[in-house]
Amino acid sequence: MNSAHILLRGQCVRCLVPYVRTAVQQAVLFSGGLPHRPTLSSTCVQVHRAVHVSCRYNKNRTVPSAFKGNNEDAKKEKALVAHDDLFERAGKDAKSKATFNKVVDIFNHRDKRRRGHVEFIYAALKKMPEFGVERDITVYNKILDVFPKEVFVPRNYIQRMFYHYPRQQDCAVEVLEQMEGHGVMPNVETKVLLIQIFGEKSQPVRKYQRTTYWFPRFKHANPFPVPHQLPEDPVDLSRFSLARIANDRDAQVTVYQIPYTDLTETGEVIEEPHIVGIQSPDQQSLLAKHNPNRPVFVEGPYPLWLRKTCVYYYVLKADLVPPEEKVKEYIDPEMVGPEQSLYYPLWLDLDLQRDMGDDFSFKVENLEEGAVYAMCMAGQGDQATLARWISGLQETNPILGQIPTVFRLDSGPTELQDTMESQRPPGPDAEAEHGMESDRVTEEEHLGGQRVKQ
Amino acid sequence: MSLNRLFFLSNSLKVGRRLIRPQIGQTRKEPLSHLQVQRSIKTNSRNLAYAKDLFLGKLNKDEVFPYPEITNEELEEINQFVVPVEKFFNEDVDSKRIDHEAKIPPETLNGLKELGLFGIQVPEDYGGLGLSNTMYARLGEIISLDGSIAVTLAAHQAIGLKGILIAGNEEQKAKYLPKLATGENVAAFCLTEPGSGSDAASIQTKATLTEDGTHYLLNGSKIWISNGGFADIMTVFARTEVVDKDGQKKDKISAFIVERAFGGITSGKPEDKLGIRGSNTCEVTFEDTKVPVENVIGEVGGGFKVAMNILNSGRFSMGSAGAGMIKKLIELTAEYACTRKQFNKKLSDFGMIQEKFATMALNAFVMESMAYLTAGMMDRPGLPDCSLEAAMVKVFSSDGGWVCVSEALQVLGGLGYTKNYPYERYLRDCRILLIFEGTNEILRMYIALTGMQYAGKVLTGKIKEMKSGNVGVAFEIMGNKLRQTLGRHQDLGLTGKDGVVHASLQDSAKQLEENVAFFSSTVEGLLYRFGKSIVDEQLILKRVADVLINMYAMTAVLSRSSRSISIGLRNHDHEVLLANTFCADAYFKNNLLMTQLQKNSPENNDANIKKIAQEVLEKRAYVCSHPLERTL
Repeated sequence: MNSAHILLRGQCVRCLVPYVRTAVQQAVLFSGGLPHRPTLSSTCVQVHRAVHVSCRYNKNRTVPSAFKGNNEDAKKEKALVAHDDLFERAGKDAKSKATFNKVVDIFNHRDKRRRGHVEFIYAALKKMPEFGVERDITVYNKILDVFPKEVFVPRNYIQRMFYHYPRQQDCAVEVLEQMEGHGVMPNVETKVLLIQIFGEKSQPVRKYQRTTYWFPRFKHANPFPVPHQLPEDPVDLSRFSLARIANDRDAQVTVYQIPYTDLTETGEVIEEPHIVGIQSPDQQSLLAKHNPNRPVFVEGPYPLWLRKTCVYYYVLKADLVPPEEKVKEYIDPEMVGPEQSLYYPLWLDLDLQRDMGDDFSFKVENLEEGAVYAMCMAGQGDQATLARWISGLQETNPILGQIPTVFRLDSGPTELQDTMESQRPPGPDAEAEHGMESDRVTEEEHLGGQRVKQ
Repeated sequence: MSLNRLFFLSNSLKVGRRLIRPQIGQTRKEPLSHLQVQRSIKTNSRNLAYAKDLFLGKLNKDEVFPYPEITNEELEEINQFVVPVEKFFNEDVDSKRIDHEAKIPPETLNGLKELGLFGIQVPEDYGGLGLSNTMYARLGEIISLDGSIAVTLAAHQAIGLKGILIAGNEEQKAKYLPKLATGENVAAFCLTEPGSGSDAASIQTKATLTEDGTHYLLNGSKIWISNGGFADIMTVFARTEVVDKDGQKKDKISAFIVERAFGGITSGKPEDKLGIRGSNTCEVTFEDTKVPVENVIGEVGGGFKVAMNILNSGRFSMGSAGAGMIKKLIELTAEYACTRKQFNKKLSDFGMIQEKFATMALNAFVMESMAYLTAGMMDRPGLPDCSLEAAMVKVFSSDGGWVCVSEALQVLGGLGYTKNYPYERYLRDCRILLIFEGTNEILRMYIALTGMQYAGKVLTGKIKEMKSGNVGVAFEIMGNKLRQTLGRHQDLGLTGKDGVVHASLQDSAKQLEENVAFFSSTVEGLLYRFGKSIVDEQLILKRVADVLINMYAMTAVLSRSSRSISIGLRNHDHEVLLANTFCADAYFKNNLLMTQLQKNSPENNDANIKKIAQEVLEKRAYVCSHPLERTL
């Protein structure tokens, strides 16, 4: 038994280490709670143990209440509701970081023993997105700070083996999980808090360690990161989204129309939607080679998700050119052959192919599709708006004047339709001269397209 | 005169044949018969080519040994020219002022004209000096002492009037050459356009025939035209509509002689350049310039060949020019290194400074040897196609020149960096050598691909049999390989009984032979591995070109120093020393390059190099995060 005693003692001393290390921080972070300040002496260990026992007692009192009976469950729910209420009441005026912090402070000061802190933390986690603080590390630290310090730290190897205070540990892990879900990296303060609350090798600390191990490694895993704060202005958002889809640095974004509201003589408010398009030089040259007898199609709307925002875009595309219609480009041997370059031959006149040993290319089955000539985003998905885009494109692509344009628009998402209904301009008369002109062009183009269809 | 014309004829036909070759048997029956007629004319011309045959492991020693000589009369003649030119450049040319004012003063230009330097290669009948390529190279050595003047003269006669000289008819020559030779008129060469560097297909300048059929109307603009600001006669390349045999209309390139007096020509502002600031480079715009039909050089639609001939013929002289410059730099820096003291020691006693002088001497020696060997080959009757050799001279001398000028500047340290000394000007001036007349990259492609095409024609049958599993051929090749790896000693006849190399250079000759044998098997391997897709393997072609250049340089120094010992030239022992040093160095470089060539791209780092470049170019920026960045 003597040896077991020594072992226990050793463990206790080890338990002490984090306390000593964080003694100063304790003083700062943890105002109430512990009635003593442990120092490195055997007597102190004794005192410590005494406190520990009282803790256990505490636990014995609370844990069953959480797990037993329907009646008890209802009580717990009630508690949760109560905490929810706390947030609801605080959030009535303004849901902000300050009010959220205030609620946490109120909870901290209401009860010295912090009864029901687990429930409170779960409720707080649930309410975080509402208050817009789900990506704020200081708020998470503040929530973790609600846990009473040192009481949940295991004191011996048996406690350590048997998942000491599982509800509290699970709760803390849940906090860390939510941080992870929102991509929030725990910081040193989080670590200090967790060690103070649960001890060096507890589940939350391990979770913390895993997070800090993997998070930095995956931080830049996405080569196409989307910013957390998307541009507010629809034109800027379209600019960003189109550049993201096109993924071509040469592509040129053109704003065909900036949104504006106009008051007509009759007093009606006209809201003109924004039209932003993108086209790369490659697309331009492809379009220039398009056979004018075949129509081009305006298709859409297609969705693009940017985190939680969904935007819609339209494409100007052509059907796949049937193989018999493919124009074989005339190749002048003097111009393109070995003598295109004035200085060196561009191909060798040899009957030898590349040997297998040096062929490092993969076999890729290429599936041809109709070419996409341009893309756009607009505030409204109706034909008139998109026709304005096409007429804008025509300035840089004169061939569009000869090609029939067919609109193949899906009904699209409902909310888009709704805005369309409400924002639709009353009639072509009210439109600017330019708009009228473009409308006429569209009609003609549409007719042309139908002709080809027949 | 008529001899000269014959030379030109056979030369242009040769090039013409090379151009037409790919199409033989497909469409053009006519040129073929035409060609055979021409071939019968030049029965006595030699078809041997030195550099091309190296691809097949053949060392045509008759081509390059003995080192070409000029007759005593010619030597006397050239010395007569050299002395006054050298005096003029030493006394009357103020390079610093030319560089500073970005203009060659008229009195200097007049001096050059009086010396006849505007018509060095124009035949005497037309009032020029009528010098051979070798003598032109000799004068180039002196002219190169001032970059601006050298470029102005080169733009005038190496490319500007060359079109008339090699492809013009009698009337055109009689009309234009006399005035050009005296420098009364200055010539320019207008090929490059904003959208077309070496890409002939994208030339946009158009020449349209007027309704009466007597004139062409020229429209378009040309950029980076040397002498473009004041040239009176220009060789302009433009698209013309040509009706071919099938009755289809096609755009083909034609060359025109355009006088400034034709009207409609405007020159832009002279470009402000890094070096060769005294030379005039600007944009030239043609607007409805009326050019009479008789001013077409060669035939309508044949401009491409004319352009290629002009470009290929002018390059060899850059070797002697570079050598001339380095020789001058050695004199200047040696003076400094032998007088300046550091730590109570003369600068010239330090090993690292000595190394710089050795580098300069070696480079000058090799450039000189290559330039005069090539010039001598070009001057021989029969005119073998030396464009490959000329390109090699250009690449080697421009690369070497840049290194040497930089080393010379380094000897002087901070002083060299100031404008008080001419080194920074030389450095700026010689940078253009790597760029113009075909960038070194493009010329390396030309060198390697021309050889590969030649070797491929010969080896296709053998490689095909091997690929189809012919055991006999495979064993033969295996045997060759085995012999090489075991002995690596090849006897290609440079030394020994019928040897042409002096005994004191025996080791170097052996090294060359070994390299040639190794090279041929490497080329065979490359053709086996890549076939015609080798066109896209630029990193491989670069190595092939470098090996070939080194081998040609080795040949040149071996040939030259063998001759020097044999006839007892002054300081020939120094030449032997230089030759042996260079050969040993080049031998190792070649072996390294060829070992890399025998490996696959993942092994010789090519795959990685390409990948790095691709990733950088995809981002269009440096990819890595900053070393001070954190994620935690």
